[in-house]
Amino acid sequence: MKPRKLKADIYWVGAVDWDRRLFDELIPLPDGTSYNAYLIKGSEKTALIDTVDPPMTNVLINNLTQLDVKNIDFVVANHAEQDHSGALPQILKLYPKAKVVATPKCKDLLMSLLLIPESRIMTVEDRETLSLGNKTLEFIHAPWVHWPETMLIYLREDKMLFPCDLFGSHFATSDLYVTDEATVYEAAKRYYAEIMMPFRAIIQRNLEKIKDLQIDAIAPSHGPIYDKPEFILEAYRDWVYAPPKNTVVLPYVSMHGSTKRMVDYFVAALVERGIAVKQFNLAKTDIGKLAMALVDAATIVIGSPTVLVGPHPNVVYAVYLANALRPKLRFASIIGSYGWGGKMVEQITGLLSGLKIELLKPVVIKGFPTEEDFKALDRLAGEILNKHKSSVELTKGK
Amino acid sequence: MAKYRCIVCGYVYDPEVGDLNAGINPGTPFEELPDDWVCPLCGATKDQFEEEE
Repeated sequence: MKPRKLKADIYWVGAVDWDRRLFDELIPLPDGTSYNAYLIKGSEKTALIDTVDPPMTNVLINNLTQLDVKNIDFVVANHAEQDHSGALPQILKLYPKAKVVATPKCKDLLMSLLLIPESRIMTVEDRETLSLGNKTLEFIHAPWVHWPETMLIYLREDKMLFPCDLFGSHFATSDLYVTDEATVYEAAKRYYAEIMMPFRAIIQRNLEKIKDLQIDAIAPSHGPIYDKPEFILEAYRDWVYAPPKNTVVLPYVSMHGSTKRMVDYFVAALVERGIAVKQFNLAKTDIGKLAMALVDAATIVIGSPTVLVGPHPNVVYAVYLANALRPKLRFASIIGSYGWGGKMVEQITGLLSGLKIELLKPVVIKGFPTEEDFKALDRLAGEILNKHKSSVELTKGK
Repeated sequence: MAKYRCIVCGYVYDPEVGDLNAGINPGTPFEELPDDWVCPLCGATKDQFEEEE
């Protein structure tokens, strides 16, 4: 795609990665992604905000060539992660007078990750400004969304926020701005779940920090630009502040059908009690869908058979992720089966140590479930209902 | 003495224990940690800690 004009002297010069399907060799990208870089031409100085993922360096360079950019004074690196900073070495070669503008922590990371010479980097403090003549960049330090060095830029005269990864979405589109809010909501929620959710408490601080800014548009580093910023700000407030909902997330694996029979019975028992369920077969699911479900749920119930005395490895993977993503979960339990014994419950609960959850009595049975086992599942469903009901906040969040 | 939790990674600084790897002796209150002390798990700075309830 060609460079695209946002406003007078402000251009999108990034790259759309339609075909990428995996990020960090971990996160599925069903809709591809984009690496947004922005060019701001002030009356005196020119700044480039972020760059692109290294394989797409030529796209960025072509965009700058098409705009006939002969000189860049500043390349602002909001974030040292390579999908935004990776083209810096080439850009610095092409524009030998350009200085990288970064937080002190980002300077350290750019030097160690991209071997950028110290002499090419200038650091800025929180709320420091940089004049481009008729345009002013205000730097807002926002550590830990989602690395320790991250910052946001507020372009004062144009009332635009460039928050890098915060508010972003992995969503390849030919739309410069959000057109279909429902689609972007899904992509942005997935992005939040996978990248931002572990830093929920810190995002609260950052939302506070920007709440008094008058923002006409939010231009993130992935996905389309929000020309109605309230859409994404409201979504973030919900994901970050709102109490969890009356929902059970149920990731499971079944090898020979016993655990699956329990899951089927248990899901019906929960639904009968008015509890929403999101069920994921871990042998098949897109792990991003599971992460999204964890954004709002009050309870996780893990279903697993026993393999080599422990849980199924796919269950270990999912539980490890759920623990690391630190969602709002309040309660957890385990259902599943074994043939001759094992330590599945101990191993799964050991993996959940990072969450502030109450563990409800697991139902782990020998062999195929019987009437007695179904009664135990009914009891667990009832206990979850009582827990959800007794939490005033939860009812409010429903 | 109050414990402080790192809001980035969940590590809890316990003043009774200190942080010997960083030269912080047991009995050092959070407030007296040097300004350049960082979370031993994730490297977050002191301002990312909140008092434990």
